[in-house]
Amino acid sequence: MGAPRIVLGVIGADCHSVGNKILDAYFTEAGFHVVNLGVMVSQDEFLDAAVESDAGAILVSSLYGHGLIDCEGLRQKAVERGLDRVLLYVGGNLVVGKTPFDEIERKFKAMGFDRVFGPQVDLAEVAGLLRRDLESRAN
Amino acid sequence: MAATLLLSVDIGSTYTKGGLFRLEGEELRPAGREVVPTTVDDLGLGFDRVRAAVLARHAGGADASAVPVYWSSSARGGLKIAAVGLTPDLTLSVARMAATSAGGKVVRAYSYELAAEDLADLRTVDPDIILITGGTDGGNSRVVLHNAARLAGLASPAVILYAGNRKVRDQVVEILEGREVATAANVMPEVGTIDIEPARDVIRRVFLERIVDGKGLSRVVAASGRDPLPTPLAVFELVRAIGERVPGWEDFAVIDMGGATTDFYSHTKAFHGGDAVILRGLVEPTLKRTVEGDLGLRVSAEALYKSEAAFLDGRLRAAGTDPSALRTYVEDVSRRTDYLPQDEPGRGFDRLLAAACVRAASLRHAGILQRVFTPQGGFLVQRGKDLRQVRRLVGSGGYLAAAAGPDLLLEACAPGADDPDTRHLVPDAPACYADAGYLLPLLGNLAADFPAAAARAAVAGLKPLTANKD
Repeated sequence: MGAPRIVLGVIGADCHSVGNKILDAYFTEAGFHVVNLGVMVSQDEFLDAAVESDAGAILVSSLYGHGLIDCEGLRQKAVERGLDRVLLYVGGNLVVGKTPFDEIERKFKAMGFDRVFGPQVDLAEVAGLLRRDLESRAN
Repeated sequence: MAATLLLSVDIGSTYTKGGLFRLEGEELRPAGREVVPTTVDDLGLGFDRVRAAVLARHAGGADASAVPVYWSSSARGGLKIAAVGLTPDLTLSVARMAATSAGGKVVRAYSYELAAEDLADLRTVDPDIILITGGTDGGNSRVVLHNAARLAGLASPAVILYAGNRKVRDQVVEILEGREVATAANVMPEVGTIDIEPARDVIRRVFLERIVDGKGLSRVVAASGRDPLPTPLAVFELVRAIGERVPGWEDFAVIDMGGATTDFYSHTKAFHGGDAVILRGLVEPTLKRTVEGDLGLRVSAEALYKSEAAFLDGRLRAAGTDPSALRTYVEDVSRRTDYLPQDEPGRGFDRLLAAACVRAASLRHAGILQRVFTPQGGFLVQRGKDLRQVRRLVGSGGYLAAAAGPDLLLEACAPGADDPDTRHLVPDAPACYADAGYLLPLLGNLAADFPAAAARAAVAGLKPLTANKD
């Protein structure tokens, strides 16, 4: 069966690369097979990578505040591409300004994301949730 | 040390060329060449004739058995490959790369699941090889299994080469039991990682089995004691040898333009990095070949006229020529493929068509650089291969080999876009050369056994078209 495969990248015109490298190292260390696409990744690139690698989850980062626009429609596109069961996680500084986090979370979940994280989240918690979600999807 | 004579023969679709080379110590020196018409029904006849002519005129009637023969063939239109991938931008694009760098011609390309009509289409084009790719190792297996099952029922003599997800390789072979099947390592084992060499090797082997079994070539194999190379592969391997072994030629490109296709070979690093440059998409290989089936002066003239209409029209209008005259010329030469223009208007049209081929082949081979404005400032995004470091450009094939000056080759450097924020990464201002002696394919045949000597001899044999800058 091997390590669970996940696709990682920073979406849109966002060039923040430091966090991306940290996530790559962390999840690899935590036993995941990480397909890291780096920064400035388009929706199609996320989906192509997930299709080819048969990934169970796509982890989208966005740090420059344009996350809502960039992530819009990703779920529908995933379904169209045959990725009906792929998990969508998103995290970072998802919107500009001081919007309360639960408001942000609500918006992204409405767009079809399974989990939404702020910039301060503990990665151990994310890895735990990811493992659990992947297992329940597999059944 | 006594000089050794070596004979190299290239069987093309129109002409069979033979060249004699003298191996003196570490160097290969051209010692004469001959050309005879290709004998389509029995390719071995043309081979015998050119060999006899070269030996009689340039080797003092040396006995044929005393002169080793290396040879290549592009007769029969080369090797037809249908490429099957999963996603168009990933495995299908790598499958195309594998096919063209093995000297093949991609006659069809399919992504995702093959449909019934794709199979009907495959029966019509009758490829030599169907290359199945898809899925990273351990990745998607559903689609390749589906495609293998589809192909199992296809009535076609094509060899099926599986170079996809390793996890289901055995299963695919099982599904295709009874068919002629070959396997190679996955062309894209990880997203973004390209591994085309193993597939290339298998394609070359299949070429040998396929091309040799008819048209008198098995007799040539017996007479020469050697297997042939596909002509484009011979050139590909010579380009590699030159790029790796001749100082000052690390970054160069070859354009081989013919009646049917235009081939573009580049040897240069695909991506040079830099602070504000971000690479998207696949990292392309240092050595790359593209084949454009719609760019050619004769057989493909109609297709060229369609795909490059805007450019051709613009040039004609700028010159004050009536564009309909070119239309008539194109219709004419695409039917009379051996036509050579006898008057100035005809020669002018050929020049213009050649310019369109060179320009389009370069633009398609090269990547692009786009300026994007982000909240963190301006960035440059590169897609595809950067050819700006290409310092030397070689024209090969009948028309370009006969070029008297660099103007035509420099069409390869024409900026393609009118968008100020998009830049095509074509060569900047390369020194230009012509392969006037048709040495590239002939020396390409020798590159496997004598890489350094063949590379040096090829460079020495090129005719400079620009004053050398260094």
